[in-house]
Amino acid sequence: MMLPYETRREVELFLLREAKLLDAGEFESWLSLYAPEGIYWMPSRPGQTDPKGVASIIYEDHAILAIRVRRLLEARALVLTPMPRTTHLISNIEVVRGETNDQFTAEAAFICVEHQGEEQRLYSGRQIHHLVRANGSFRIALKRVMLVDCADRHQAMTIPI
Amino acid sequence: MTATAAQGLSRDDILGLVRGDYIHRRAYADPDVFALEQERIFGRLWIYVAHESQVPKPGDFVRTHLGKHEVLVTRHQDGSVHVLHNRCPHRGARLCMVDRGSTRLFTCPYHAWAFRADGMLSAVPHPQSYPSSFRLDDPLNHMQRVRNVQSYRGFIFANQSDAPPPLAEHLGSMAEVIDNLIDRAPDGEVEVADSSFTLEYQGNWKLHMENANDVFHPSFVHNSSVAPARAAPANASIIDQDQTREMLLANGFGTTEWEGIELNGLAGGHTYMASFYKKGVIANQPQDAASVQYRAALAARLGAERAAAVLGVNRFNNIIYPNLVLNAQQQHMRVTFPLAVDRTQIRIHCFRLKGAPEEIFHRAIRFLTNIGSPASMIFSDDVEMLERCQQGLIKEAGPWLNFSRGLDHDRRNGDGSVGGAASELPMRVQFDAWVKYLTQ
Repeated sequence: MMLPYETRREVELFLLREAKLLDAGEFESWLSLYAPEGIYWMPSRPGQTDPKGVASIIYEDHAILAIRVRRLLEARALVLTPMPRTTHLISNIEVVRGETNDQFTAEAAFICVEHQGEEQRLYSGRQIHHLVRANGSFRIALKRVMLVDCADRHQAMTIPI
Repeated sequence: MTATAAQGLSRDDILGLVRGDYIHRRAYADPDVFALEQERIFGRLWIYVAHESQVPKPGDFVRTHLGKHEVLVTRHQDGSVHVLHNRCPHRGARLCMVDRGSTRLFTCPYHAWAFRADGMLSAVPHPQSYPSSFRLDDPLNHMQRVRNVQSYRGFIFANQSDAPPPLAEHLGSMAEVIDNLIDRAPDGEVEVADSSFTLEYQGNWKLHMENANDVFHPSFVHNSSVAPARAAPANASIIDQDQTREMLLANGFGTTEWEGIELNGLAGGHTYMASFYKKGVIANQPQDAASVQYRAALAARLGAERAAAVLGVNRFNNIIYPNLVLNAQQQHMRVTFPLAVDRTQIRIHCFRLKGAPEEIFHRAIRFLTNIGSPASMIFSDDVEMLERCQQGLIKEAGPWLNFSRGLDHDRRNGDGSVGGAASELPMRVQFDAWVKYLTQ
């Protein structure tokens, strides 16, 4: 059964807010969207289901993401000099209810343009959010980012997509 | 003075690029030097191409680079392993467009010449239209085979020269790191996991090989991940037993650690260092439940004393010259492919130790992600630095690079040398071999 429009819109606005925080470089606020046991997962191959027996580009929980965010914000990593800036576009959003009434799964297509110094890089693919209602908004239990070229050659990646 | 055929670089030109502890920037930035490296290093030395566990059954193949060539490493029906140029001899088309797979025949999509896994031409369509002189068994009509292929305990190397010395001679005592990796498997066998990363950077291949045994840079280059890891609480992660935080922390060297890390160099250009992973599940012989279980499994095969000796080997970034990096304890391997003078590809793998608890394999996977992923908080900063080196090295100004650190403290040891105190000994050893190979 299709979700009520208001619910779908709430989820969409949440996804757009997440993208906006990343584009604004507000990584601490971005991290606060994650549940305490929330996970960010970027698989290394299409259809990857196993995050432990197959390497991932990123498979990190809140504690490790917190280190990554601190690195983005404070420590001026070499690869972040100059600081990259991104534009995230999220589209083709589909929302369905999860196992319980306060859980939702949102799948979407994305494009992320990353600009750094004289370079521009383009990332695209699909993303799936597992969201849980919390305090009138949502928390991310799992974000899975499936780059269309996840199994191919890569250069260094910096900002979460 | 002998001029070399294609590049017009003389022996003296090469000798002129190395002045004791100074190297000329052209070693990294001159396309003619790169071409000579392809001819005399990647074209003449034993070069790692694949592991036998990647081609277990007849028809299995992997695609990789051998110097300037793209090759297929194949398993033939009779069990033999072949290294074939990925090119149809008929019209020159690239044959195989995937990195791995299994096939009975390699068939060119252009005119359907079909080849066996040993490179032999098996069949052509409409054979009656070929002249009577055309023969399937004419080697000219076969996929070109790299003449010399040898394995050391599952590690397959290829050599493109006419009469190479045995592989064992090239490996020398570096074979010990392969032995140690295999000895660590309770069933006495390892396999390359079907999970790897392929990264590219805009810089010379040697920069990566030098960086892998440079113990001086982590304090500076990796500070942006060491500092956040230090500020983070211990054991906060619910997914990796604190392995990621410990790995980041381990790069936070102080003077004591610098001086305590021994660096070793061997005559063929091989180098390695003592490990600096000392805490948590990535330490040498940790005491957590999975490690204890693993150690017991290993002791069941080797006996407790021998198992302790095998697990006690604590070496890191064992570089088999020119382009293979092996880490037995971390079950980790990197292969460096020079693509152009200023462009390098790195393929990063991990191993499964057969008979070890699954958790031990998961740690190797985690190690691979943490240090080999394009989003690695460690390696991304290394790569950035390698690229900045290349950006500087293409400029003519101030052409001499200094490699003197530790020079007064290095000492001879058997057929090699040993340094500590954050010596640049590995770079000097690599360049000694580089000069030798390029000028002989």
